[in-house]
Amino acid sequence: MSVPLSQMVTVASYIVRQKLARRQRYPLVLMLEPLFRCNLSCAGCGKIQYPAQILKKHLTVEQCVNAVEECGAPIVAIPGGEPLMHPEIDRLVAALVAKRKYVYLCTNGLLLAERLALFTPSRYLSFSVHVDGLRDEHDDAVCREGVYDRAVGAIREALARGFRVTTNTTLFDGTSPVRMRAFFDEMMSLGVEGMMLSPGYSYSKAPDQEHFLRRTKTHALFARMLDRPKRRWKFNQSPLFLRFLMGKHDFDCTPWGMPTYNMFGWQRPCYLLQEGYAATFRELMETTEWQRYGHRSGNEKCQDCMVHSGFEATAVNHTFGSLRGFLETVVVTLTHRL
Amino acid sequence: MSLEGWTPQLGPYLTLEEVVEHAFDYRGNVTVVSTDGTETVGYLFNRDAGAPEPFVEMFDEAGQGPIRIRLADIATITFTGKDTAAGNSWTAWLERKDRERAEKAAASGA
Repeated sequence: MSVPLSQMVTVASYIVRQKLARRQRYPLVLMLEPLFRCNLSCAGCGKIQYPAQILKKHLTVEQCVNAVEECGAPIVAIPGGEPLMHPEIDRLVAALVAKRKYVYLCTNGLLLAERLALFTPSRYLSFSVHVDGLRDEHDDAVCREGVYDRAVGAIREALARGFRVTTNTTLFDGTSPVRMRAFFDEMMSLGVEGMMLSPGYSYSKAPDQEHFLRRTKTHALFARMLDRPKRRWKFNQSPLFLRFLMGKHDFDCTPWGMPTYNMFGWQRPCYLLQEGYAATFRELMETTEWQRYGHRSGNEKCQDCMVHSGFEATAVNHTFGSLRGFLETVVVTLTHRL
Repeated sequence: MSLEGWTPQLGPYLTLEEVVEHAFDYRGNVTVVSTDGTETVGYLFNRDAGAPEPFVEMFDEAGQGPIRIRLADIATITFTGKDTAAGNSWTAWLERKDRERAEKAAASGA
């Protein structure tokens, strides 16, 4: 794992506090979507298909900060849309850093180099750059040529200026494990802090429905891709989540682990399904019928989902919720054998 | 199949609640026609049929909102806006890439 020690301690102590308070459901990461507009139109994305008046809108900094306070999660991921298109993204990030929240600002990298001057390097801020593979694979995934090169250029620039930089990668059917291993080498050569991986979820609104991974294929791909991982590869996520993707764990989803807030409110039940909105975080937690979601619920929308937003929290909870889970995490981390 | 342009005929085989579900699932503007004849055009992003007073919520065409309308006050909903989720951008992208590759191959062979 490549997560900084201070972040690990913050998350661990937060989870211990929740457990001591005997809280059954608690959030780990707030997925804060301040806007939906984007400067790309990727075929696998279901987040940007809205009418013009919705794409023009964005949350205010105050709305975002209130949501962060309401939720209480120690980590805030800012996806979108493209958050660097938010007119006050610098003020938003500064406000969250001042509150000592660990912020992952997710970006496709197109605007990153020119906007870096708006930000100050901090252990609380990481740019999470979306890269779906080597040049050809990534440009195919985002439906535009040249995006990979611009993202890589922005990564170099951000690292040179002292920022924390991670990558996030969504994998689809047809991904070559060999090419992905080369991609891991490439990203580590750039000097990124760590990589985040997740299979894609088949949004019903995404134009491309044919290329999403199903469960068996996901296991096969990740087992081959992460077989005997190189020591230099660093992943910015729970090793137990990676083992789950490889088919070595049978976790169920924790849909409340990474709740989503956007201009419509608190999204039920998770980052991926949109089944309605609650006005407050408390209402979301107390009135969502959580038993209707997750692999074991039988809900067909959840059957093939293995996405990090649902299962990373399960993996982290397993680490801190049982001695077995804790020891397994320690062993995997020390031996670097997934 | 897109619901763009659909004017539902409410009756024994199609309830208002079902039309609301379609509207909630629709990624485009709709027109909510109230029982008093007024029309609200916008994006319907939420609904709750289980609330004490069932409702829908919208942002209007100017992006103002959320506007809450009681289900009891709705006569019907029509799918008047462009379906922004419809389309074949992935197919179009692949076709364009194939065409460009073929042109490049032809040029290098010439």
